[in-house]
Amino acid sequence: MKGVRGSKLRLLQCAAILGATVCSNAAWADWYNDGKVFLTGGVFTIDGAGGGGAVPWATITGYETRDGINGGVGFTYVKLPNYDINFFGGSIGFFDRFELSIVDAKLVTDDLTTVDIAALALDGLLGADNGLNPNGTTIHMTTYGAKLRLFGDAVYTSDSWIPQTSIGFLYKENKDPVFVEGTLGAAETEDWEAYAAFTKVFFRYSTLVNVLARYTSANQTGLTGFGVCHDALRNDCENKKEVRAEVSVAHLLQKNFAIGFEYTMHGDNLDNRGVDVLGLSTSVLDDLLPGIQDALMQKEESDWWDFFFAYAPNKNYSITMAYLMLGNIAVAEDQNGFYLSLHATF
Amino acid sequence: MKRTSKIFTALFGATLFFASAQTAIAAEQPTNPILGVESSSLAKFGGREGVHNWVESLFYYIMLDNRINHIFKEFGNVERQVFLNTQLETMVLGGPNEYQGASMSAAHADLGITMTEFNAVVEAAYNACERNVIAYHSCNQLINALAPFTKDIVTR
Repeated sequence: MKGVRGSKLRLLQCAAILGATVCSNAAWADWYNDGKVFLTGGVFTIDGAGGGGAVPWATITGYETRDGINGGVGFTYVKLPNYDINFFGGSIGFFDRFELSIVDAKLVTDDLTTVDIAALALDGLLGADNGLNPNGTTIHMTTYGAKLRLFGDAVYTSDSWIPQTSIGFLYKENKDPVFVEGTLGAAETEDWEAYAAFTKVFFRYSTLVNVLARYTSANQTGLTGFGVCHDALRNDCENKKEVRAEVSVAHLLQKNFAIGFEYTMHGDNLDNRGVDVLGLSTSVLDDLLPGIQDALMQKEESDWWDFFFAYAPNKNYSITMAYLMLGNIAVAEDQNGFYLSLHATF
Repeated sequence: MKRTSKIFTALFGATLFFASAQTAIAAEQPTNPILGVESSSLAKFGGREGVHNWVESLFYYIMLDNRINHIFKEFGNVERQVFLNTQLETMVLGGPNEYQGASMSAAHADLGITMTEFNAVVEAAYNACERNVIAYHSCNQLINALAPFTKDIVTR
């Protein structure tokens, strides 16, 4: 594990040195470009791709036009009743055609009373390493992304219905198999997703509309893994991808200020599945600790809704705030909370 | 009759506009955005006089922008540009077609305008709206009406 981390760090260092070399090179002056109009590259999403808060757009990240390269780094903080989530990452857009992104997500349980108590009880009872920590469990996930613009222009083709169309690929690596697979019962901790995004600005109504189809088997975008194992011994597992719809609508009140909403469809892999400890399902443990099965039953995964506003004072940074309605997440219900995101662009 | 008047307009445009001297074919026609342009748009710009004021502001911001002012210094007579642009913008906002210049493609064919430079003009357009206290939403009606010219103007 440490070796893998080390080699990754070295890779990052190499990339940084390479990046610094490129930046200091005179050639960079020819590549650098920030000619895009305000907000048309989107802001920083939780997948790292350019788009709204949760839904990638077909537009390519950064302020570059087809004449150059641009990109940025983003940080997002999400505060839910029972969870805190941090996202930190960066993305680069090449010639308004192709983008690469990486984002690191950390979810920490907070005030998760039933689980905390149950974890304490089970720890005491069994000395179990179930990935649950009575002082707050952390889930860590890295998402690598690439997006390719196929055709269309989201902004300037007001005389055509053809939207800007892009396809994207995400690889999500969840770093907590003990908890995500062993306890929550997901089939996989690592998996890929693919999407097709369609984006169009309707100047007549000062509104941007984005529709996305995502091919995935993710539970809570992958934070709680992919697919499901129906039994605690992990013999009966399935990880079937399906197409899920996502929508974002942004209305511009001025050239650098947008309000809007997003919707993302979620799956039902872990619905009504108990959590497992030491290869035992909670139905078995219920004999030992009456009532624990109900407390540790994962609720039906909800589709996500959010209302947001995004403000770009200039081309070097934007601020996005949102109210999230994420519904049930794992064993916790009614996860409505706040979202604050900063996106700094070169 | 219509054809003759078109040729006349084209010839007239040729004497007025630098690029049309080489490639004048026809004057420009109003664009056709899928959702249309709000019918009150021209009024919201302050009619023809308001459009003229807006174009004055547009060129004020263009000539301050070092990314693009050299193009206009080299190729365009700003006074003439203001005159022709007032006609063009009045037309696309739903006013009468009195445009006397060359078509957008003919006028820009040899300039090698990049998307970056084009976007810089769009930024100047929004600045001009703010300067002339034209609401953002009304400003977008003009962007909506001019956007279809993008492919004619950006050639690089």
